[in-house]
Amino acid sequence: MIHVPSWLQLAWERGILTTKYPFEPARPEEVSPAGVGPVPTSPLDQLTDAPARCPTGAITLDAVDQGKCVRCARCLGAGFAFTGPVESSEARRGDLVWAGGRPGAQTNDGPLADLGRSIHVYLVDVGSCMACNLEVLALSNPYYDSQRLGIFFTNSPRHADVLVVVGVPTEEMVEPVRRAYEALPAPKAVIAVGACAIGGGVFAGNPGLKGALEQVIPVDRFVPGCPPPPVAILHAILATMGRSRTPPGGR
Amino acid sequence: MMDPSVKTRIPSDGEPSRILAYWSPDDVVAVWNNLAKGGTEIERAPQSPGAAHLRAAWLGPPSAPRLRRVAPLEQVDGYGVFTFPYGPISMGVPEAGRFDVRTYGERVLDISPEVGFKARRILSSVAGLTIEDAALRIERLAGPFSAAHVSAFLAATESAAGRGISAREAWIRALAQELQRIYNHIHVVARVAEAASQNVGLAQAHALAEDVLRLMGSTFGHRWLFGAFLPGGPPTRLGPDDRVALAGTLGRLSKEFERLWSTFQTSRTFLDRIQTTCGVSREETLRWGAVGPTLRATGVAWDDRLRSPVPPYTDLFLPLATESSGDALGRVLVRVLEVRSSFLLLEQMLERWPASGSTQLPASEAIAPGRGVARVESPSGDLVYDVSVHDGRVGRVSARTASDANWPLFALGMRDAVFTDFHFAWESFGILFAETDR
Ligand code: SF4
Ligand code: SF4
Repeated sequence: MIHVPSWLQLAWERGILTTKYPFEPARPEEVSPAGVGPVPTSPLDQLTDAPARCPTGAITLDAVDQGKCVRCARCLGAGFAFTGPVESSEARRGDLVWAGGRPGAQTNDGPLADLGRSIHVYLVDVGSCMACNLEVLALSNPYYDSQRLGIFFTNSPRHADVLVVVGVPTEEMVEPVRRAYEALPAPKAVIAVGACAIGGGVFAGNPGLKGALEQVIPVDRFVPGCPPPPVAILHAILATMGRSRTPPGGR
Repeated sequence: MMDPSVKTRIPSDGEPSRILAYWSPDDVVAVWNNLAKGGTEIERAPQSPGAAHLRAAWLGPPSAPRLRRVAPLEQVDGYGVFTFPYGPISMGVPEAGRFDVRTYGERVLDISPEVGFKARRILSSVAGLTIEDAALRIERLAGPFSAAHVSAFLAATESAAGRGISAREAWIRALAQELQRIYNHIHVVARVAEAASQNVGLAQAHALAEDVLRLMGSTFGHRWLFGAFLPGGPPTRLGPDDRVALAGTLGRLSKEFERLWSTFQTSRTFLDRIQTTCGVSREETLRWGAVGPTLRATGVAWDDRLRSPVPPYTDLFLPLATESSGDALGRVLVRVLEVRSSFLLLEQMLERWPASGSTQLPASEAIAPGRGVARVESPSGDLVYDVSVHDGRVGRVSARTASDANWPLFALGMRDAVFTDFHFAWESFGILFAETDR
């Protein structure tokens, strides 16, 4: 009788776990309710209660700034629902401000579009709570298996094409992250993952913090969320490679 | 040539302290506040003689004004001794923080962790906020331990205001904490296995951690439980049918965890690699005030859920997990046992779920002024919050986290290790820079 190692049996019995994303839309279990952005269920200017409920000032009567949103859900009682697209990252910070609260068209061509090969990602924390870090690292677990899409993690910025930055930059991390950025060979891309990196999240305005990663190094893609789910981060990496695709039913 | 190890020693002032967790929460916070400010005096003398040792844990000149060293060792110098900084950006430790590593050939003489790189000034920033708004920041202090931090913070405000909470609120907090404990422990086991080059079954371990995150996401509306206990938080699914489904999923995950652990257990290479690595003794964990799995792995039977129990832990059966080896394997084994006991706690909770009660914070005007202290067993150990409330708003908040307490033990455990042990030694403690840099 052939001896099957127990770990192989375990893997076999669990079957294929890997998401079909981006070839099919992300499934609800891959994105918790608070994993996507809030969208008004009626015209935004009628939801007059909503701006005062929002703790980060993300909501005004004409727009919702997804970059400021920390997914606290308080606006859910004031006419919003977590129904935004998973593919919500943008190449320009301003495009995260959704006029009328609805997402506009998205720019999907990143600075690495002509690379034509697999890419290497270097993760840098500049002041996170650790949740964003773990959502980025989750991309290598069998559920997301970023390697199948030619995305690998590397241990050195010198071997990296993409700097993925999490957390709100503290003064102490300004120089280290600049040095890491400079160590990347060109062409390179920077992805700011999470509300903290985009604009400080709930900590915006605390002393000793740079407000946003953009103020420290150039940013090529902004991924909203607190934290963004792994599929949203995957989409953002693919977008910088010019390889993102909008799955059927997506934006 | 003199062997540099002769000079690697722990300052030996005073007697070994009693276990830190025996201190009253007030003493823990008072001492910690003082040390964090760089003080040498203890504001309020604690019941036990441990303070001198805690002071000694903050040795060494920091490299920048806002950074702090958190190692108990005197640094060694001599011919052939080489110091290199590791961090604040290094892929092996996916957080911003630095270790000054002193080596003599292959051997690590001492490691001096330096914290403060990602200090976000969270606790000072919540003064003047409503409890709800303060909680929004405190749950984002250390995402993987969010349930423990918010529970301890809210419990301290409730104690300050002399307010009780409904059984249902208490059970929801405990449910969230146990789910998060399972996630963290499985994650630590997976990270230790990964760092110890144990590739067999590793993918399944990471997959299981993802399963738990997804379960938290579907139950509490958020994979990291942010907002889970706050009014107006993400939608929760804890109705009768949801609880039946939740119990079913937990049963499946528990079985999968057992099978996964049995594959790890049969791997001699994995067990050999972590056995005797980064060991600390019972005397050291007691003396330096270790908490959580780090303490219990040296045979000390302390867990806040049993020693300072609050509902629902008062009504549930919780077997206490201890090991005696004090090494990376011991800390992994304690976590494995605790994954089991958390599954058992969840099973009991779902069977006896309280019927009613709402999650409502009282209006600001209804909150009496006062000061409250509360402690919670976080995934990495005893977590204490000290909160004052005035005019319905949060006043001063301070905390002593499990990571604060366990830094010196990591540094002690690394004495005479080789640098290749660093990563799994580090992972086995479950320390987060985010918990210290607050
Ligand atoms: S979910 Fe976002 S937009 Fe809504 S209240 Fe919270 S931070 Fe504001
Ligand atoms: S954006 Fe949210 S999840 Fe990410 S580091 Fe900041 S607080 Fe944590």
